[in-house]
Amino acid sequence: MNRRNPLLPYLLITPTLLFVAMFTIFPLLSSIITSFYKQRLNIPKFREPVWDGLGNYRELLSDEVFRQVISNTGIYVLILVPLCVAAAFLLALMLHAGGGEGSTAVLNRRSRNLRRVGKRMNGFYRTAFFYPTVIPMVSAATIWMFFFTPDYGLFNRFLLFLGYRGAQNWAGNPDLALAAVLITAFWKSAGYYMIFYLAGLQNLPKQVFEAAVIDGAGPLRLLVSITIPLLKRTTLFVTTIAFIGTFQSVDHVFVLTGGGPSDRSSLLLYHLWQVRFDQLNVGEASAITVILVLLLLFFTVSNFIFNERGER
Amino acid sequence: MKRETMYVRTGVLIAAALLLGTGFLFAAGQAESPAAEGNVEISIAYPVAVDAPIADILQKYADEFQAENPEVTITPVFSGGYTDVKTAIQTSIEGGGNAPALAVMLATDLYDLVNAGYVTAMDELLAAMPDGDAYIDDFLPAFMGNSYYEGKTYSLPFQRSAVVLYYNADLFREEGIALPTDWDSFAQAAAALTVRKNGQVTRWGLEYSSDWPYWLFQPLAIGNGKNIVGDETTVYFNAPEVVEALQYYIDLSRVYKAMPEGVQASWGTSTGNFAAGKTAMIMHSSGSMTNLLGSSDFEVGVMGMPGTVKPYASVPGGGNLYITSGLSDAEEQAAFDFAVFLTDPEREAEFSKATGYIVPRYSAAETKTMQDYFADVPQALDAMKALEYAEKELALQNLGEVRGIFHKYLQSAINGEMSAQEAMDTAQNLADKALEDFR
Amino acid sequence: MPRRIPRIQKAAGFRFSPVYLLYAVMTILALLWLSPVVWSLVASLRPLNDPFYSGHIWFGKSLAVESYLKAFRLAPFGRYYVNTVMQVVLILGVQLVFSSLAAFAFARYRFRGDRVLFMLILTQMMIPTSALLVPNFQTIRWLGIYNTILAIAIPFWGSAFGTFLLRQAFLAVPSDLGDAAEIDGCSWYQMLFYMYLPSAMPSVTAFAISSISWHWNDFLWPLIVTQSDKVRPITAGLVRFTQLGEIGAQWALLSAATMIVTLPLLLMFLKFQKRFIEGYLHSGIK
Repeated sequence: MNRRNPLLPYLLITPTLLFVAMFTIFPLLSSIITSFYKQRLNIPKFREPVWDGLGNYRELLSDEVFRQVISNTGIYVLILVPLCVAAAFLLALMLHAGGGEGSTAVLNRRSRNLRRVGKRMNGFYRTAFFYPTVIPMVSAATIWMFFFTPDYGLFNRFLLFLGYRGAQNWAGNPDLALAAVLITAFWKSAGYYMIFYLAGLQNLPKQVFEAAVIDGAGPLRLLVSITIPLLKRTTLFVTTIAFIGTFQSVDHVFVLTGGGPSDRSSLLLYHLWQVRFDQLNVGEASAITVILVLLLLFFTVSNFIFNERGER
Repeated sequence: MKRETMYVRTGVLIAAALLLGTGFLFAAGQAESPAAEGNVEISIAYPVAVDAPIADILQKYADEFQAENPEVTITPVFSGGYTDVKTAIQTSIEGGGNAPALAVMLATDLYDLVNAGYVTAMDELLAAMPDGDAYIDDFLPAFMGNSYYEGKTYSLPFQRSAVVLYYNADLFREEGIALPTDWDSFAQAAAALTVRKNGQVTRWGLEYSSDWPYWLFQPLAIGNGKNIVGDETTVYFNAPEVVEALQYYIDLSRVYKAMPEGVQASWGTSTGNFAAGKTAMIMHSSGSMTNLLGSSDFEVGVMGMPGTVKPYASVPGGGNLYITSGLSDAEEQAAFDFAVFLTDPEREAEFSKATGYIVPRYSAAETKTMQDYFADVPQALDAMKALEYAEKELALQNLGEVRGIFHKYLQSAINGEMSAQEAMDTAQNLADKALEDFR
Repeated sequence: MPRRIPRIQKAAGFRFSPVYLLYAVMTILALLWLSPVVWSLVASLRPLNDPFYSGHIWFGKSLAVESYLKAFRLAPFGRYYVNTVMQVVLILGVQLVFSSLAAFAFARYRFRGDRVLFMLILTQMMIPTSALLVPNFQTIRWLGIYNTILAIAIPFWGSAFGTFLLRQAFLAVPSDLGDAAEIDGCSWYQMLFYMYLPSAMPSVTAFAISSISWHWNDFLWPLIVTQSDKVRPITAGLVRFTQLGEIGAQWALLSAATMIVTLPLLLMFLKFQKRFIEGYLHSGIK
């Protein structure tokens, strides 16, 4: 197709590739290599790397803490990602329906004046849901730490108002700590993914909806058979970045629970950090990095396949 | 619309082009310039753990030092919390860069720092001092406990704290309760000070957080006659005294109903509750004293944790001054001189007064500044006294992993998932395994 | 004018519409979502020595700006602001140029190894920067740019996310259009600037917003590759207040610091969200 210069595309990608190679690929390769060595900076005889084959991996698999961390991470990701994506979609849908351009997605053309008010309200709603994105995770988590305070923490107050009478020490209770971490991350990121759905909804072809309405399709029918299928690409994109983002956020674990109690809220990246910088176990940390990347690859690729298959 | 996109487009393009150019210029301008002949440039990395203007104080000391030693330039580098300082030192040494010559890091990180070759022993420098031995002997032994490794001295106590029990003295007076002297009277006092209305607690007798538990727990074990740590590869997690201490902690909530049940992540909130009179006693760092004295409108009492075989117990905490490795002789000497300068009794007294840290030297406690301060704020003296029966803070080989194990099982027991005995047996077992490589 | 009539009629009759319900739900949700920042704002205005406890968690005994004064006294936020803005602009500007070039290549041309190279770039998204601190620090040292704003920015210049996002948007441009333009003698950069980029403005905006908010808030990397306040970003100031390990949380002080750090970004978002989001939403419909 490109008849001018066969080198052109390579030249175009060179700057990006160069910096990605320098700050990602190269260090990743060195992590893969290091993961086959035993290197523990706090043991003088292992300060220099010693070949250890799959030793680090074997050690990890038999490590009870690591298994706990993997199971925490699995639960965390499998709950948080769908929750975030669903909430992002619903929020975007409501915003769109409430005051956006074409309320065709769910509602019909009634109440034009309301829509005008809605347009003004939309800015407010959008900001309300999006602003957690612009707050540093460290401060967000600290604010939530206050919200989780037993007795007077606002989150506990709110739950009390809803009729919840259970345990309140969110960060200390083995059954609640992971939930506390999850809730904070949910609040922080749902609005970010919402923006992508909002853009996706706005870009839907109006004519399809109009035609369907003429055919007598109800709001639910429109949603299920037109809106959701047409947003497939957005969903694929959002779930992918949500997976990646979920694996990579860790600051809130540091602030809220420190992985506790008894490792119940320790996530993979947090554990990696501890092994690398707290236990100075370079080899094992590299192995965890490799596992982390493999898991992410697995999740994103299977997500991709899952969504592609649905398309056929 | 069209026009707007065009503006954005051109704007972005121009901005990027400009930035690419200026970015490199900027980089060139900012790159480190080598020190002039004969001059020494060092920096000191420090964390901030209390809300005092530590940056200003250290800058002032650096200026004073430079005035006395014009050939030395000292740059204080604020580096986050303790963890961040350690990470920064690690990253820069492993990355082959020159790390700050002097760093304030946790006293307990000693073994890891030495094993990894991040820090240098100070013995030669101390020996070259006119009164090196006297200088070291002047530090409180409780603080020096975490400075020695393989017979060498690696750090100087600097911003040090201790676990203390804060009590609402007004409440004790009003309720006619005597100050506790042992575990029994402590539990009873805590129970008596707990107030319930219609089954709801309106005031706890005690808040004793367990979200980062080893430090606050240690005084219980020490007061019962056994520290949880021995030499650099020995822990006593399942010693009968330690298990008893754990059971006592659990009983304070389960039996005496004097504090909330389960693991309490209340390090951050218990101070507020105490200051507001919603909690009668808290275990906390002496580092929060300034804050508590300022925000409470009652008399705040400070003491060690009552014990069984000891009248009371405490454990030190906080950061020491370390000299990093890979320095030139001149840099090392300058770093050491500045460390000695910082630990000058008069300066330490001033630092303690401004920050709330405990003065780590006897001679500093005897300065007029400190004596006046003690007269003014007797609690500061009480905090120092609490250290009389202190033993060393949990520090040993492979600290990160061993501490992680201890935390995990301590919390399991506190949350009622295991019995105290079972939890501590498991912890002992795993810790022994984790220490195998180090024996 | 004639439009007014139905509106008044409707107001008088107040016919129930699902829209009312929708607004009610949305408003409740929005208020819940906002509560942390509202609380934080209120808490930042408490006197410093006013403890928080049950029934006393919003307003203090009086309104005070002490926390802000103290926060400004403890950290040079003015300098930090300037640095942060420079850092964020330096990152985003370069990212946009590099990413649109790469995305254009991947969207427009088929070439040997394009899929592999694309996947190679994408791996960057999957690797947490915090896992690669040590080797990246080594690279910064090797480049000789330690303790500069450039050191903070440079690892992010190659952006997989930007490339991915823009490629996605560029793919929506029909390739026939590009072919036609090429036959008309349009050069690749004319095509990129006049055809591809304008249609990708939504993605450019989305990427800009996420890049800005991400790098505005990044704190560990900047702390590691810099050592002087001259080049440090605003999060270095925030860290002073979130890591007050020994004294327990100083909610008022921390809230004030959070406000100082986030308000500019929040205001910028408030001001530009209409311009940006609505602008691009409209341009997207065609």
